[in-house]
Amino acid sequence: MPTVTIDGIRVEVETGATVLDAARKAGIWIPTLCYHPAVSPPATCRLCMVELDRGDWKQLVTSCNYPVRCDIEVSVSSDRAVAARRGVMQLLLALAPENEQLKALAERMGVEGTPYPTVTTSQRDCILCGLCTAVCDEVLGRSAIAFSGRGPDRAVTTPFRQPAEDCIGCGACAVVCPVGTIRIRMHEQEGEIEISPFKTRAKMLTCEQCGARVTSVPVAEYALNRAQIDWQEFRQLARLCPRCRRKRTAARLTEGRTLAAQAGYVAGTKKAE
Amino acid sequence: MTVVAAKPISSPAALQRKREQLGKQRSGPAKRVRVCIGTGCAAKGSRRLYELFVEAMKESDMAVEAVICVGCHGFCQRGPIVVVEPGEIFYQQVEEPDVAEIFRETVLGGRVVERLLYEDPVTDKRAKTAAEIPFYRAQQRIVLAHNGVIDPTSIDDYIAVGGYGALAKALTAMTPEQVLAQVERSGLRGRGGGGFPTARKWRSCRNAPGQPKYVICNGDEGDPGAFMDRSIMEGNPHAILEGMALGAYAIGSSQGYIYVRNEYPLAVKHLRGAIEDARAAGLLGQDILGTGFSFDIRINRGGGAFVCGESTALMASLEGRPGEPRAKYVHTVESGLREKPTNLNNVETWANVPAIINRGGEWFASIGTEKSKGTKVFSLVGKVENTGLVEVPMGITLRRIIEEIGGGVPDGKAFKAVQTGGPSGGCIPAEHLDTAVDFDELTELGSMMGSGGMIVMDEDTCMVNVARYFLNFLNAESCGKCTPCREGLAQMLAILDRITHGEGRQGDIDRLEQLADLLEGTALCALGKTAANPVLSTIRYFRDEYDAHILQQRCPAKECRGLFRYEIDPEACKACGLCLKHCPVEAISGEKKVPHVIDQQKCTHCGTCLDKCPFGAVLKV
Amino acid sequence: MTVQEKLIETIVSRYDGEVGMLIPMMQDLQAESGYLPVDQLRRLAARLDTPVSRLYAVATFYASFRLAPKGQHEVTLCVGTVCYLKGAGRISERIQEEFQVEAGGTTPDGLFTFQAVNCVGACALAPVMIVDGQYHDKVTPDSAMEVLRGLPLEQRQEQQETKT
Repeated sequence: MPTVTIDGIRVEVETGATVLDAARKAGIWIPTLCYHPAVSPPATCRLCMVELDRGDWKQLVTSCNYPVRCDIEVSVSSDRAVAARRGVMQLLLALAPENEQLKALAERMGVEGTPYPTVTTSQRDCILCGLCTAVCDEVLGRSAIAFSGRGPDRAVTTPFRQPAEDCIGCGACAVVCPVGTIRIRMHEQEGEIEISPFKTRAKMLTCEQCGARVTSVPVAEYALNRAQIDWQEFRQLARLCPRCRRKRTAARLTEGRTLAAQAGYVAGTKKAE
Repeated sequence: MTVVAAKPISSPAALQRKREQLGKQRSGPAKRVRVCIGTGCAAKGSRRLYELFVEAMKESDMAVEAVICVGCHGFCQRGPIVVVEPGEIFYQQVEEPDVAEIFRETVLGGRVVERLLYEDPVTDKRAKTAAEIPFYRAQQRIVLAHNGVIDPTSIDDYIAVGGYGALAKALTAMTPEQVLAQVERSGLRGRGGGGFPTARKWRSCRNAPGQPKYVICNGDEGDPGAFMDRSIMEGNPHAILEGMALGAYAIGSSQGYIYVRNEYPLAVKHLRGAIEDARAAGLLGQDILGTGFSFDIRINRGGGAFVCGESTALMASLEGRPGEPRAKYVHTVESGLREKPTNLNNVETWANVPAIINRGGEWFASIGTEKSKGTKVFSLVGKVENTGLVEVPMGITLRRIIEEIGGGVPDGKAFKAVQTGGPSGGCIPAEHLDTAVDFDELTELGSMMGSGGMIVMDEDTCMVNVARYFLNFLNAESCGKCTPCREGLAQMLAILDRITHGEGRQGDIDRLEQLADLLEGTALCALGKTAANPVLSTIRYFRDEYDAHILQQRCPAKECRGLFRYEIDPEACKACGLCLKHCPVEAISGEKKVPHVIDQQKCTHCGTCLDKCPFGAVLKV
Repeated sequence: MTVQEKLIETIVSRYDGEVGMLIPMMQDLQAESGYLPVDQLRRLAARLDTPVSRLYAVATFYASFRLAPKGQHEVTLCVGTVCYLKGAGRISERIQEEFQVEAGGTTPDGLFTFQAVNCVGACALAPVMIVDGQYHDKVTPDSAMEVLRGLPLEQRQEQQETKT
């Protein structure tokens, strides 16, 4: 196993692990935005820059996707690495100056505001990191949203900027969004879930027992198909909200316990005998 | 026109026999008219010239095959170009009415039409052949050797000049390792930009685990002002195919791709035809020349994105995705197209390979400088007398290219800078004109070889505006994937916009340099990492121009609107009233016989008066 | 099968249905109608079993793809470095002002689609403007206007010809 020396701390990692993996193992914090363990690193935000020491020359690399293939020495705290991360953060702050999460991360990095004005406006409050599109593609296999346009016009959109047929309303994009730009909105009256800002909507599944909103109908279908369990009871359970599902399981158990007790098989009672 | 071989050539010996047979047919004082149909000449109507020559041939019962279309000669400034054999009579700026005369006098009568020859502006001497023209004299042509000579749509023409001989030689007498060794000895470095040693790339790909392996020809020539690769693809497509086949043999690949820029329809047509002809002749496809080696090539047209010149972006495009680069921490020779080992070289690199195998790596290495071997094709354009394509040995000075071959700056203007290396290159000022042109020297000067664009700028060119132009270009062409390139370039552009509009601030140069440093260190791909070069090199050599813009709101080159004034020279003004009539804001006053005056308060600096004045009385001050 | 479905089928089979050849397929599709109709893109996506978002991404990434119909004429102005140095920037401004058209857009009356491209490689002719495939060399703002103002006449003549 190769050894990574990070700011003097030595850790061993599997071949092919990333510098970020090694840093986390060493307990060293590197700020990230577009990194998420569920997807392959897009390496777009460039916030996790560290300096790789190759002996005769040094190179800035993104820690989230730089693979460790042999013993290497990395500096997270070198002047150049710190300056690079600060510079990138300042550019991001200029892009989404109002964003609270981004400001909090900047503060943690010790970056106080940005010297730059806002000059790009392709998508408000979005840092174009690509986690949402990666999750939708790699994890869900839906690709309901993707990047469109190029350069300064780049934006995350649904096809033709119309509500996407491929969206199942799962909300995974909102969950992974590191700056809280993608949101889930519920429309109680229509019984619909909306993924904002994409304006895609899906019908919600209503719990057959209590009438609570469970999940979107397409997600339920998607989950059933993915689980590939053709078991009537499982299908019935899927139509209940988690609370009612638990109640039902509990009821079953109680029922089972009562039957067992009647037959003298319940552990507690047996011992007592 | 193309005579497709009736049956495939079955062996290297058969190829040799065919070449001898073609040689016999074409020897002697055969009459031939070669009409250039490169984009430059074609834009000036050379296709019509070709048709007229064909008609003339028909009328006088001559074989129409004696008129052929050929690729770019390089001397685009003097197009359309027509060359008549025997004698290699070089006619320039030929127009439709000239065809009859050329046909009557030269083709039939064997006499030279003096007035259509090139006349040296210095000595007034007329040049009968290309070799006598200064533009060609200092050139040394390897890649372009057959450009303008052979019909690019005829595989027979290529075979007749020795084409596919290198492939036959490699497949029969050389192991892949020996082919690699020759390329290694030649010292050939990639002509696409970086100058990476070609043999080293090939070897890494050859040694990389995984099958199949791919070879790719990068024909996505996106640098504005550069058309070297297009001319090769249009003028000698088989040389590229042969080079790729040789590379594939050395690397162990059986599938190649050529990615051609969308704006080059003629290149696509000629390459497509060449691939079909080569397949039919048994020089591509299964069991080439009966040797058991198989290799085929597919063409993809680009979609119009500069970033696709970057290798990983190009591969993404070949996979049917947007051309976004990816990190190269794992090299493409290990994991490239469809995550298979892939070797990518540009057009000119591939086109050099047949000559290297034919004449040996040693021969190639004898040309050029210590670390840059062979020749390089440049497209010499901009404020230069002779615009065109030139191929020169590495190590020639910039001065010789611009002054001797290019004929210097026209209209008596002063030379200011030459921009090399495309949008990611830099501007080199007059004091460095005696620099030898090679990969390392140009990098030393803060520019780079790039793919070979060479844009000459004169005193009227504002260097701040040049930097802004390139940044604007790169900003629009950035894929937008990574933060520093997308946001950093936009920030730099905003600063340069301010400066060229006279709103520059103290500290702007420092801000530009900081952002440039950030881009270089943190951008994902080479486009972003080098994007600030035009800004850095103009700051390095023309800082005074930046200062003039920022501190005095003045554009020394008088190019940036609003940072200079228009005035009317009362001596030169003939009071004709043209400027007055066309001024859109009625800023000009005057009467008949009274010199006109521009009201500086009203003037919006649109420049209409300057365009309209027939006497040159409107001045920029 | 409708005409549209047939077209998609022809194009897809031309490339053996290989998703990697998506860009050439879309180029062929655009060659048929001058732009990429939304319903045809959806059809192509379904036929290739590929998300529509990928086709939309490709269509908006590459400059040569168009999602709106073209004007009656095609005007391409080269704004490559050499043309720019020799004044293409001002020509572009004049065209945009006079015809109320943005680069990449079509004039309000549908007369022509205006493209500003980065170098057509005819630098000896700079500045170059290409109108319906015909090259105009060494253009000035005035000469460009003259050519473009001549376009409506041609258009009317064409219409008359088709009527008679």
